[in-house]
Amino acid sequence: MSDYKKSKLDGIKDWLTTTNHKKIGIMYLWFALFNAVVGGSLAGLIRTQLFNPEGKLLTPEMYNQVMSMHGTLMIFFVIIPAMVGFGNYIVPIQIGARDMAFPKLNALTFWIQIPAALLMFSSFLVPGGTTQAGWTGYAPLTSKAFSGTPGVDMWIFGLHLVGMGSILGAINFLVTIINMRAPGMKFFKMPLLSWTWFVNAVLMLVATPVLAGAITMLLSDRHLGTSFFQPAGGGDPILYQHLFWFYSHPAVYIMVLPGMGLVSMVLPAFAHKKIFGYKGLVLATCGIGFIGFLVWGHHMFASGIDPVLRSIFAFMTMVIAVPTGIKIFSWIATIWGGTLRFTTAMKFGLAFISLFVIGGMSGLTLAVIPFDVQVHDTYYVVAHLHYVLFGGSMMTLLAGLFFYFPKMSGRVLDEKLGKISFWHIFIGMNLTFLPMHWLGIMGMTRRVSSYPQRPEFAFLNRFEMLGYLLMLGGGILILYNIFKTLRKPKTATADPWDVNGIQNTLEWTISSPPPPENFETIPVVR
Amino acid sequence: MKKKILIFATLFIALFSLYQILYAEQPLTNWLQNPATPLAKDVRTNFWISMLAILPFLLLSEGLLFYAIVKFKAKPNAKPATFHENVRLEIAWTILPALALIIIAFPTFTTLKKMEVPPKSDLVVEVIGHQFFWEYKYPKYEINFAEKPLVVPVNKVVTLNCTSVDVIHSWFVPAFGVKQDANPGRITHAWFKALQTGTYKGQCAELCGALHALMYITVKVVTDEEFETWLEKNKPVPVTPTEATAPVKSKT
Ligand SMILES: [Cu+2]
Ligand SMILES: [Cu+2]
Repeated sequence: MSDYKKSKLDGIKDWLTTTNHKKIGIMYLWFALFNAVVGGSLAGLIRTQLFNPEGKLLTPEMYNQVMSMHGTLMIFFVIIPAMVGFGNYIVPIQIGARDMAFPKLNALTFWIQIPAALLMFSSFLVPGGTTQAGWTGYAPLTSKAFSGTPGVDMWIFGLHLVGMGSILGAINFLVTIINMRAPGMKFFKMPLLSWTWFVNAVLMLVATPVLAGAITMLLSDRHLGTSFFQPAGGGDPILYQHLFWFYSHPAVYIMVLPGMGLVSMVLPAFAHKKIFGYKGLVLATCGIGFIGFLVWGHHMFASGIDPVLRSIFAFMTMVIAVPTGIKIFSWIATIWGGTLRFTTAMKFGLAFISLFVIGGMSGLTLAVIPFDVQVHDTYYVVAHLHYVLFGGSMMTLLAGLFFYFPKMSGRVLDEKLGKISFWHIFIGMNLTFLPMHWLGIMGMTRRVSSYPQRPEFAFLNRFEMLGYLLMLGGGILILYNIFKTLRKPKTATADPWDVNGIQNTLEWTISSPPPPENFETIPVVR
Repeated sequence: MKKKILIFATLFIALFSLYQILYAEQPLTNWLQNPATPLAKDVRTNFWISMLAILPFLLLSEGLLFYAIVKFKAKPNAKPATFHENVRLEIAWTILPALALIIIAFPTFTTLKKMEVPPKSDLVVEVIGHQFFWEYKYPKYEINFAEKPLVVPVNKVVTLNCTSVDVIHSWFVPAFGVKQDANPGRITHAWFKALQTGTYKGQCAELCGALHALMYITVKVVTDEEFETWLEKNKPVPVTPTEATAPVKSKT
């Protein structure tokens, strides 16, 4: 036994068979990073295609595949798994647990994502290519008659697998947070990241089965001769939209709430102040989670749904601005009067607030039904959703990356490089997505592969290329930063950001990286 | 230095984009510059009202954030404040945005009513979406054509009954303030009353397949006289009853 040396193969085997929540969390993050590279490259193809009104780089069929897969990958294979990665790693430590409640289930939840991603990537290769119906996959465009390609089936199965992962993961998070909190860790003592994960897990558990049902009905329409969404057989395509958005509006919060949790950890740490209005933030999180289930119809204002229903959805959408406002103001009050340290994590956190405000405000204008109908399915909506998902989720993820990297790896990411990459991404993001508001107001519809009759759109589209290139540069710098830092010795202390005393969360009391079991003895929270 | 460049860059983009909206050579497609129907005018008013209602909040939150970033930068020996609660403040920022919502909600619901309750119709047109063209039917005149511009008289209320024969399309003419999904198996309604003659452009707004981007819409708004002549020219060729009722003999 003594002369047995740990080889590289053992290391790999260790990762493949691990049930440790920290290793699984890290694998989630690598997985999301890889998919972000793919999804980001697809975005590059989109911008290049739209550089000229004629759009000659890709055929319309190819363009629709690229655009559909960009959306699907970024949502289901980048943002959600990255959020889950941070949650998986940090939440059990924050609540004083040694692992998730079901470690083996946790591993399964991660490994299920791999075949899902493989299905998505390989669906490009089958005859007919992958789905061309956008990430929304509206029926009847996705029915057998209009999308004969097996790529659509692969897309459906891929979503089924990630959906299964979401449901299992949500159960795991809920059981962990409810049952495995350390003694003294009452619900209202839980750090905000854990709180957002609690609410988030509820959202995932309630919403995801509905998506799974919708795409199963789609699949059955395609192959079993049912007609849930086929008008010829008495079905209704609008039903698909109701089911799809019943999942996909809460999905926006699934992508943003845990990010808000991350930012709520970052801001106090670098402002040297306690989070402002902890209880208000918790209640706002719950409020957003609840109202989030009552607004799905705002994606269907042009579908011809019932007028009364339309008004109710518009009203609820406006109401959701209130808890969101509470959050924004509480964060600003958190940094108010503090002594701010502008680390890269802090910069991304502050950028998140300023960009999310814009995304939230444009979202509010979309509740104004007459205006919404005017800009529905135009670039205005594309701008809005990128301010929410890139300015929102992505910024929080990057803040989380720079904040928790030392905890996870024992090494602090290069701050100088980090700041350069921050400015690239922040400026590039605005150059790309801000002009899209104007394009939408001018009447440029989304998901178009060319615009030969409307050459006046070209100027802003070309301008956006500049922003894309800046973001690309920032992204490459972050990748370089990660790989460079990982080759350095592990020197980070238990509390590399010096936050103890301000933010007494448990993750900063154990070494960086933490021991496999996190805590030798389960801590008692006062 | 960095900040100055940043500010100038932002200003430059904002001004240039604004120029694009306001002065681009597209008077008949641009609803903000030239709304062509009463509805589109209301939409524009709605747009500006909601912009004005959110602007204070946008400026307030971005302003406070910016101020805090500049003001509270860590200095040696500076002590951070310790407050982390203020119930009054929290109540204030819960209620204030709610009030702003009322400002937005009122015009929303009045315009919505106009959208949904059309005035008495002067002309009914059936709009039928196909992959990838539009078919129009004038039931009253028994006119039916496809892949050609829709022709309507000026200052008349035109009601659209939209449907589709294949996938979901969306009939979208920005200057009219009209966007209505055309769903297979359902009939949806929209209406407009064009105030000026001219040719208006639009396109299908709901992804409907490969050539979605090329599924254009052209609407010619003409005077009453021109419309009459157009009707005359496009009248269905009368079919003699014998021809119509005679059984078709199939050759074997
Ligand atoms: Cu939504
Ligand atoms: Cu179409």
